[in-house]
Amino acid sequence: MREVCISAAHAVTGLGPDLESLWRGVLAGESAIRPLERFATGRYLSANASWIEGLDCKNGRSGIYPLLERLFNGFGPVPADAALLTASTKGCVDVMEALNGGGAGDPAELPMAKPLSWIAGRFGLASPGININAACASSTIAVARAASLIAAGRREAVLVVCMDLVSEFVFSGFSALQALSPELCRPFDRNRNGLTLGEGGAALLLMSRDRARRERRPELGLVAGWGAANDATHITAPARDGCGLVQSVRQALDRARIAPESIAAISAHGTATPYNDQMELTAFRALFGERPLPMHSVKGSIGHTLGAAGGIEVALGLKCLERGVLPATVGMLEPEEAGAGFLSRSAQPIEGSYLLSTNSGFGGVNAALILSRGEG
Amino acid sequence: MEASVIGIGWVTGAGFGWGGQGGDCVFSDLPLPQLARKDVFPEPNQRFGRMSDYSKLGLAALAFALRDAGLEAWSAKRAIGVVAATRLGCLATDLDYHRTVLLQGGGLASPNLFAYTLANCFLGDAAIQFGLTGSSVAINEGREGVDAVRIALEDLAMGEADTIVAGICDLAVPQGYAGALRLLPGAAFLVLTAATAGAQSLQAAADAAKSPPTPLFQRGESCGAAGYGTVSLADDGVLLFNGSAVGSLVELVQTALAGRQIK
Repeated sequence: MREVCISAAHAVTGLGPDLESLWRGVLAGESAIRPLERFATGRYLSANASWIEGLDCKNGRSGIYPLLERLFNGFGPVPADAALLTASTKGCVDVMEALNGGGAGDPAELPMAKPLSWIAGRFGLASPGININAACASSTIAVARAASLIAAGRREAVLVVCMDLVSEFVFSGFSALQALSPELCRPFDRNRNGLTLGEGGAALLLMSRDRARRERRPELGLVAGWGAANDATHITAPARDGCGLVQSVRQALDRARIAPESIAAISAHGTATPYNDQMELTAFRALFGERPLPMHSVKGSIGHTLGAAGGIEVALGLKCLERGVLPATVGMLEPEEAGAGFLSRSAQPIEGSYLLSTNSGFGGVNAALILSRGEG
Repeated sequence: MEASVIGIGWVTGAGFGWGGQGGDCVFSDLPLPQLARKDVFPEPNQRFGRMSDYSKLGLAALAFALRDAGLEAWSAKRAIGVVAATRLGCLATDLDYHRTVLLQGGGLASPNLFAYTLANCFLGDAAIQFGLTGSSVAINEGREGVDAVRIALEDLAMGEADTIVAGICDLAVPQGYAGALRLLPGAAFLVLTAATAGAQSLQAAADAAKSPPTPLFQRGESCGAAGYGTVSLADDGVLLFNGSAVGSLVELVQTALAGRQIK
């Protein structure tokens, strides 16, 4: 099996237009969550989201495109033979909203084939690629798939692009499910009361380590292991015992050929819903026992970015490994008792080489990635 | 990189069924059948009636494929993966849900409909119904299901799973959108198994099945256990069935069904 490295990473979030602003903001304990101005929120449980100026649907053009334009601004060259994988749960949902509401728009813009071909054209890629839709684990699974293809020698390079918007469609749905926090979300807090939505994107260029070295590309980190599994328990709720997440992490550990003791930090899904966070704590306790292990969630800073979450968290995870620091969980005031030894209200040092990043979502999906420090 | 096709199931405007039952899988412009629970499951199923039409369509075709492969009954969860290609996903459900959002400023938004506004939602239903714990993803692609089979073949070759169900699922284009979007509605799934590992794991799964098949849906002497043939991927990405090129997943299904020998 070939080693898989990430040679370029970029993110656009509510905290700023690049990965550096995300890193600085998260490390400083900032949050981009604020009152929404894109649509009226008076009938919903919350008025807040982590949103980005200028991503409105205009004249039938989805806000996905200005997001992608910002994401690719300064991203650098992508090999023409790279495969393309995108990850999005709702893609151009804002166009559907406009059309269904009697506004301007072209139905031909609705299929994910449109953003795929736009991205492929932007980088001159030979293949139009595919979009992975696995709920909130979409981009985690896309990165896992990219790594798997490269490790097996089926691809030399894969561009993974992750994206989702804050739309009234999704906002109203989580409100109807009683899953939105009326305030700012509080991941892993004992008084957490729901999630806060966010929007954003990430672009990651995965390559075989040998080729990246030959082409003198940066080595931001390695994708050492990956796994994915379904709870087979419930459509919208996680399995209370975390069986799917445990299975995913064990697959990732096996793939990386490391013991659980080698994991030095965890970037958890941490949506701040009571059930998700409890499930994760149960799963991580089963996997890692009672030893102290730094863990955080970024959702209090940039909201839950749905299909983009895993990709943004990978980009941030690379920064964490590079700097040797795991930022605090913004929004967590009183750590959940079951998270003792995992959670901290301040940044924690990462004493080791491996960071575990996980996501779970509707449909019972779970996915795990193990990142290791690169050589720069 | 090749796999055995051991089960086929479908739902189209021309009818629904599975390989061992006889019949053909024909995609057409005909309206899709309104599936009732008893069309798919012999026993009461509390969730089926509440599902969106998209989920019912996908779940039914997937159930038929597993039935054809002898993998419908189970007693212990199984690491079987699913890859479902779709062009429009749950667009019809999205539109239905969004109409509830447009009422009273979102105050009447339906949580039940919202739960079915993800393209992968029926894969969760399938995982619960059949105890499938492998990776389950919906994909959007433009190669008429070829990429779903390709991903399944790659995952089998890389040892990600021993058995993967791959297929396509799309409802008809919603009214008012047909001018800009065109497709033939329906769902078809194939059960693929790694050529060597598959036979053992399938036998083990069959042995572990808690209850015998219900007579109404018994496969009889179907093609499933012996397999329909071998699907593989050429170096240039062309899909091959028993060595001959097929251009789409539907063509793969039809070619496999044409060659079956029902005893």
